Amino acid sequence: MTDSTPDITPEPEERRPEAAAAVSRRRLLGAVGAGAAVAGAAVGVGGTVLARGGSSGSGGNGSGGAAKSQIVAFRAGHQAGIATPSQDRLCFATFDVTPGVTRADLAELLKTWTAAAEAMTLGKPVPGDVGDLNAPPDDTGEAVGLAPGNLTITIGYGPSLFDGRFGLAARRPSALKTLPHLPKDNLDPENSGGDLCVQACADDPQVAFHAIRNLRRLAFGTLAPRWMELGFGRTSSTTPQQATPRNLLGFKDGTRNIDATDAALMGQHVWIGDEEPQRWARGGSYLVSRKIQMRMEQWDRDRLGDQQDVFGRFKSSGAPLTGKAEYDTPDFHAKSGGQYVIPADAHIRLAAHENNNGLRILRRGYSYTDGIDPETGDLLGGLFFVAFMKSPDQFSTLQRILGQHDALNEYIQHIGSGVFVTPPGLAAGQDWSTQLFG
Amino acid sequence: MNPAATHRRVLACAATVIAAGMLLTACGGDKGDKGSSGTDAKAAGAKTSKVTITITDKGCAPSPAKAPAGTVKFTVANKNSAKVTEAELQDHGKMLGEKENLTPGLSGDFTLNLDKGTYSVYCPGASTNRSAFTVTGAVKKTWKDDPQLVAATQQYGTWIDGEVKQLVTTTAAFTAAVKAGKLDEAKTLYGKARVHYERIEPTAEIWGDLDGRIDGRADDAATPADFTGFHRIEQAIWQQKSLAGMGKLADQLNADVKSLNDQVPTVEYQPAVIANGATDLVNEIQSSKITGEEERYSHIDLLDFDGNLAGANEAVDVLMPTLKRKDPALAAEVTQRYQATAAALKKYAATPGYEDSGYVDYRKVTAAQRRTLSQTVDAYAESVSKIAGKIA
Repeated sequence: MTDSTPDITPEPEERRPEAAAAVSRRRLLGAVGAGAAVAGAAVGVGGTVLARGGSSGSGGNGSGGAAKSQIVAFRAGHQAGIATPSQDRLCFATFDVTPGVTRADLAELLKTWTAAAEAMTLGKPVPGDVGDLNAPPDDTGEAVGLAPGNLTITIGYGPSLFDGRFGLAARRPSALKTLPHLPKDNLDPENSGGDLCVQACADDPQVAFHAIRNLRRLAFGTLAPRWMELGFGRTSSTTPQQATPRNLLGFKDGTRNIDATDAALMGQHVWIGDEEPQRWARGGSYLVSRKIQMRMEQWDRDRLGDQQDVFGRFKSSGAPLTGKAEYDTPDFHAKSGGQYVIPADAHIRLAAHENNNGLRILRRGYSYTDGIDPETGDLLGGLFFVAFMKSPDQFSTLQRILGQHDALNEYIQHIGSGVFVTPPGLAAGQDWSTQLFG
Repeated sequence: MNPAATHRRVLACAATVIAAGMLLTACGGDKGDKGSSGTDAKAAGAKTSKVTITITDKGCAPSPAKAPAGTVKFTVANKNSAKVTEAELQDHGKMLGEKENLTPGLSGDFTLNLDKGTYSVYCPGASTNRSAFTVTGAVKKTWKDDPQLVAATQQYGTWIDGEVKQLVTTTAAFTAAVKAGKLDEAKTLYGKARVHYERIEPTAEIWGDLDGRIDGRADDAATPADFTGFHRIEQAIWQQKSLAGMGKLADQLNADVKSLNDQVPTVEYQPAVIANGATDLVNEIQSSKITGEEERYSHIDLLDFDGNLAGANEAVDVLMPTLKRKDPALAAEVTQRYQATAAALKKYAATPGYEDSGYVDYRKVTAAQRRTLSQTVDAYAESVSKIAGKIA
């Protein structure tokens, strides 16, 4: 949390309820909804229109016919960006509510964010006055002409948001608390936590960044950005149709991930269900993020045999050391010369649901890079791990084991962490504010 | 998809004319907004004129070629021309709206709010590539017809003139100390002069050469000899700890400031320019004060911060009556965020302060504290940047 700014007592004449938000934000709310037919909507200089009203123009505003297939529905039973097939890119940001902000301010912002997020996922700019030469454009503009790129914007709320500042203490989902200290954690507080998070995923990094940038802009004065990550090269496949990608250690990672198209598995492991007393959170999920730095130089000097023993898989094919093809089920009992073929401390053995009482999580991570370590000149980067689960305890249980015994620990370190409840999807007419505050 | 209430609000949104090619959706209303719904509904009933532009190889004459001031919807259709595929509406060469990439058989439309005047429809490639389009009706009122805004510009001008006069006095005292070789005295008089410059920076920047000589930094100078003014003397005082050879530079600074004082009273201010000047000042705080860039030798950045903030606040203040009338919510937000910024800065106030500046040495402000300051400034800047569009 940032240090406190003195509480500003407004002059009496400023205590009106509408003093909380700028009209431009309110006006934006007038543009919610797919293709809201704005009567007499005008196009400004070179601008796109909120509602193209079936215009047959072939303007490159990203909502042409070819782009239609690149739109992921914003409103559904669950939030998009969880079971959605992993897009190629990620921009993930967390925010803290700035001191002095009221419940009403936060509610107003979440309304505004809903409208802006919905517009952007449709490939439209942040709604506002297009072409007013005397005002800064409402949209920053760098996504104009780009396809929507399957953009999903997923919101999450951290434990600290329910601390009583906004009257949310009684709405806290029961499993939402900061993760306990886990073995070998070396967390940087600057890169951990946050009152809120936004996960923007898209096939185009500029589209994902644009989404975060514009939400951040709308939040000036209400939220301050805490930390942000740009992810590339999804490291998990969340559907069988997707090839398993490789992490920066060169290994296929996520072969045995939950199939997000399997509703029964998702209900069992990922979606918050009737066990949660907070009805508003049912159908949501918990997001655990971990910034995992890899010691790439050291890893790259390790002999292939050892690299494969660390993971328990062949590097080239991704097959388990007991199999031939990637999707062969690992045989954790197989021995050779008295030793386990998949070593006792191999990553896949320790993480396997067979060895964890059936415990599973939906992984949805990305690779990241932070440039060069100023002290050593080594590359900074690794895995920005993101996973969704019914309860954060699922992650803690797994990480207690991995953090203690995983052979991979020689080459990785957890340096950032976050836990957030991601609410369920929005129904027609609902927004993030009414959903959270009830 | 969207809630009924929102939908109704959207439909009640009307386009209001501000200026040719600009659009303001009068949809300010929501739960807390009373009293404007009547006008909204009335405006929503205003008729949209429909104009057809048919593109051919020969040209793109609008039909009809006249419309009353207000909302005009242009439907552009390409009948059969392979070489002419776009049409735009121009106001004396400035493009206001267009429809392009219309291959034969395609059509599209664009809608504009137009004031009285003569415009042209332009379709590059056609044998007659320009046709007149006339908008009839009342001449739009400008800010000059609004006594409140006229008063605001005069009030602001008077304030600036007063500040520049004080700049002359304080600079004379500062340069006198420099010329007399009184290093300690120069140290405390430096900030006393600087603050007045920081308050009026947007006006001073009208004269780029003067501003460069008075307020340029080492890295702005093409050659070391071009590095003059406040910051060159600042470097001598705090870095070189000697005033040797500064006499000529002190004289030059004095002369430049006097020359500024001679020219400033001739400036005519416009409301939008005043508002944008405020934005520039707050952006200045963010880019050169929070960073410690400007006062890199003296470290009295917080006093400069104070000056920029006071200048921005004066600009906002003179526009405030108009802003309260046109957008009370934004007016309240700007005021609240100004107070938050002033309070954040006040934490570092000290008496007499470092080098008599009224503030602590900026080197004592930690990175985390600077970030907090910066976030407060950012929020204020964001609000201030919206003022021009509301009052113009």
